Amino acid sequence: MKTYDTIIIGAGHNGLVAAAYLAKKGKKVLVLERRDMVGGQVVTESFGENFKVDSLHAGGTLRPDIIKHLNLASHGLVVDTVRKPFISLQADSKHLVFDADPAKAAESIKRFSEKDAANWIPFLDFMNKVSRFVHSANAAIMPRLPKGFNASEGMALAKLGINVRMLGGKNMMRIIRGIPMTADEFVDEWFESDIVKAAVASLGLHGFTLGAFGAGTGYTLMHNWANRGGMSHVSVQGGIGKISEALAGAVRLLGGEIRTNAEVKKVVIKDMRASGVVLSNGEEISSGNVISAADPKHTFLSLVGAMELPPEFVWNVQSIKMRGSVAKVHLLTDGKHGIPDGTVVVAPSIKYLEKAYDAAKYHQISEKPYLEVTTSGNVVSIHFQFAAYKLKSGDWKTEGAKVEKIAMDTLAEYFPDLKPSIVNRKVLTPLDLETTYGLTEGDLNHGQLMLDQFMFMRPIPGWSNHRTPIDNLYLCGSGVHGGGGVSGASGRNVVKVLK
Amino acid sequence: MQQLRNTPFHERTSALCQPQNWRKWAGYYVVGSYEHTIDREYWAIRNSAALIDVTPLMKYMIKGKDAANLLDRVTTRNIHKMSVGQVYYTAWCDDEGKMIDDGTVARLDETTFRLTSAEPNLRWLMMNAVGFDVHISEVSDSVASLSLQGPNSRSVLKRVCESDVEGLKYFRLMKNKLGGVEVTISRTGYTGDLGYEIWMEAKDALKVWDALMEAGQDYGITPVGILALDMTRVEAGLFMLDVDYTSASHAWIEAQKSSPFELGLDWTVALDKPGYFVGRKALEKEKKEGSSWKMVGIEIDWVGMEALYAEVGLPPQVPGTAVRASMPIMVGNVQVGYASTASWSPLLKKYIALAHLEKPYYELGTDVRMEITVEHHRKHAPAKVVKLPFYEPEWKKK
Ligand SMILES: Cc1cc2nc3c(=O)[nH]c(=O)nc-3n(C[C@H](O)[C@H](O)[C@H](O)COP(=O)(O)OP(=O)(O)OC[C@H]3O[C@@H](n4cnc5c(N)ncnc54)[C@H](O)[C@@H]3O)c2cc1C
Repeated sequence: MKTYDTIIIGAGHNGLVAAAYLAKKGKKVLVLERRDMVGGQVVTESFGENFKVDSLHAGGTLRPDIIKHLNLASHGLVVDTVRKPFISLQADSKHLVFDADPAKAAESIKRFSEKDAANWIPFLDFMNKVSRFVHSANAAIMPRLPKGFNASEGMALAKLGINVRMLGGKNMMRIIRGIPMTADEFVDEWFESDIVKAAVASLGLHGFTLGAFGAGTGYTLMHNWANRGGMSHVSVQGGIGKISEALAGAVRLLGGEIRTNAEVKKVVIKDMRASGVVLSNGEEISSGNVISAADPKHTFLSLVGAMELPPEFVWNVQSIKMRGSVAKVHLLTDGKHGIPDGTVVVAPSIKYLEKAYDAAKYHQISEKPYLEVTTSGNVVSIHFQFAAYKLKSGDWKTEGAKVEKIAMDTLAEYFPDLKPSIVNRKVLTPLDLETTYGLTEGDLNHGQLMLDQFMFMRPIPGWSNHRTPIDNLYLCGSGVHGGGGVSGASGRNVVKVLK
Repeated sequence: MQQLRNTPFHERTSALCQPQNWRKWAGYYVVGSYEHTIDREYWAIRNSAALIDVTPLMKYMIKGKDAANLLDRVTTRNIHKMSVGQVYYTAWCDDEGKMIDDGTVARLDETTFRLTSAEPNLRWLMMNAVGFDVHISEVSDSVASLSLQGPNSRSVLKRVCESDVEGLKYFRLMKNKLGGVEVTISRTGYTGDLGYEIWMEAKDALKVWDALMEAGQDYGITPVGILALDMTRVEAGLFMLDVDYTSASHAWIEAQKSSPFELGLDWTVALDKPGYFVGRKALEKEKKEGSSWKMVGIEIDWVGMEALYAEVGLPPQVPGTAVRASMPIMVGNVQVGYASTASWSPLLKKYIALAHLEKPYYELGTDVRMEITVEHHRKHAPAKVVKLPFYEPEWKKK
């Protein structure tokens, strides 16, 4: 039987980043992916003839140092340098356009508020500092509070402290204050126009089951801003799937192996130590370490099994809030959809966003949803919130049609040419996110990025440093600190803690 | 307001309890002693047959395909080695290897177990049952229990049970019929003597009581309260939750917690069983590194005590019941531990105590001194670390 230094469960971008770094260190690695393709949520797929699209995450990029270290450009990764505009749709068609050029953006903001326009450049400057903070926080391995804290773990925190301090005392306070704030409060400190505020605040909701008045959406706003490097998505030439393909290319070139259609069923555990995995087809593969890039709930409750884990740990894992509420609707059109290029949002007011979120609270589908729309050629992709994973009535085998209809109706109000242009369509419900993409409860981030589930509390308090109660078993997906979004941070970090 | 409840034997016990010295036990009223002094009850345990209402014990039924797996995970013993009809005494710990509670597990059939405990454990069992195919139910109220203890207890049961209890071995159980009622009888108890515990549906409680009292007449059967029981359990070297140790689930500070090794339960910790069980890593570590303290027995030196009392012109005084108090233990001028229960043993004619001593003072034969109060003055009586149990009659396991 062939054995490996490390087996990585899940070929999402984080799993691939971890694999590439390990392979680079000369380790024998094997990545096992249940789907027939690599990438996890960072994939470009075809849903029919001429219907190829970034299925889930719209555009994105890895942290620049990772792209460089792994030489991903040589594996065909080209990230667009021109940032497209972020457009907030208005009923009168005089949309609010946040152009990548700050002066142009300020010009558009001016129509809504002179003051806000004047504040735009200082705000961008502040958000740049925010991004530095978020990235440096995500690069730090979180100490295990309250237990197990030791000096070496404290170093990472100290370093982070210094980095934050270097942003200047005033900025540091503003960032720290911003974390527990609501997105509404966060933008309220800068802007007066509800339209401007809602457009910016929408970033705080994107991908999360939280409203604009939810504590901690100040943080999620900063998180998404940092990962996007601004408001709009950057696109990848040939689709976001190129990121995953480039990573896979790097893994293979460095001597790593990747197997698709290889679902892990169990982590093999002997005397509280992981020693390999068993696949769904019964095949057993042994290894020195196992890293799971799948979400922590799936990892611990299905792959490891509660029986192998301490009761308090199991209780904490069961309590991880997953709560997916995102659906995706792709429309193949004849090209005459009329939607401008860029990241286009339906987020007309703060209250609108909050009301859209109410649906998630009551286990429903928003009648008036918050939408984020991107186009690539003839395909229109709609990110739909909120569509609760657990529905009060009906189920996701049939309710997809409702999401599709609401999404199309909502957009058609702004773009009357849209409906007649539609040729084909594909909806991905929260249930699809679970069954097709392996996300427990359809949660994109492998657990909500809420205040009680972030930093040293991610995935659960006391286990924030990628380790688990099972020796030689580590975590590296979005469910650990550094994760959430596409950056590769948690995949990069796990390699630092591996024995 | 929380109301204490009566056990299903209350109609009988209340009619017999002369001093009305009721005690609280796990939400129930139980008899402290039936008479104004407890000597007769104490001697019934040691010389004849004592009938003790132990209904307030917490009881759980654990059923299902994974029942053994669950108990193997929760407790420190290797439950898979248990045969049907066997009973294990066991501790269970938190994941830091600190004791939560202790009690008995009885294997009623391949997939059915009954667990007894001193304190509520349902949530802990449920928390541990994630992923197991098992059904846990609390039967503390619906199952009544009587403890029949003492050298005559077997003879009493032989007279009244449908099936013979003669072959029932120590820590085994059998189904039986008694007073026309289905019961389970286990050869267990908290006295360190020959004894049995009888488990029945609460509704049948009085029938069983009456049948036993009648059958036991010629054998000196005596209803006994928990004060006498407390003295005998000290003689037997058995500790008690909340008296001799604090459950990890409600200790305020680390120092209040105890490991099974510290309480002398090394023999119950099956580190050789495979796989995870709660507390395993911590217990392995403690086993390797040694415990920083241990619970041991000490015998207070009579002559030494006599001398301390003689100073004030008194003969030695001994308490009439077990003393549940913290009594400092010294070596030289340094405190090296404390006793948590002390008792005069009428049978051994010795003043004995369960003591918690720091390393290395817990070694057998170590000379220590225990604090006693002589005429309102603190004195230190000489004492020695001795082997537990203090008393073990040859008929206990025979
Ligand atoms: C529509 C959408 C929009 C998003 N927008 C944002 C955003 O704006 N901001 C943000 O922060 N995040 C966003 N995200 C989330 C972001 O995409 C994810 O956090 C990120 O891609 C997760 O990467 P990962 O590598 O950690 O995990 P994943 O990409 O989820 O990869 C995990 C992989 O493990 C595989 N796997 C699971 N179980 C097994 C098994 N038993 N055996 C083998 N393989 C297994 C899965 O198939 C999958 O390939 C969005 C996601 C979606 C769907």
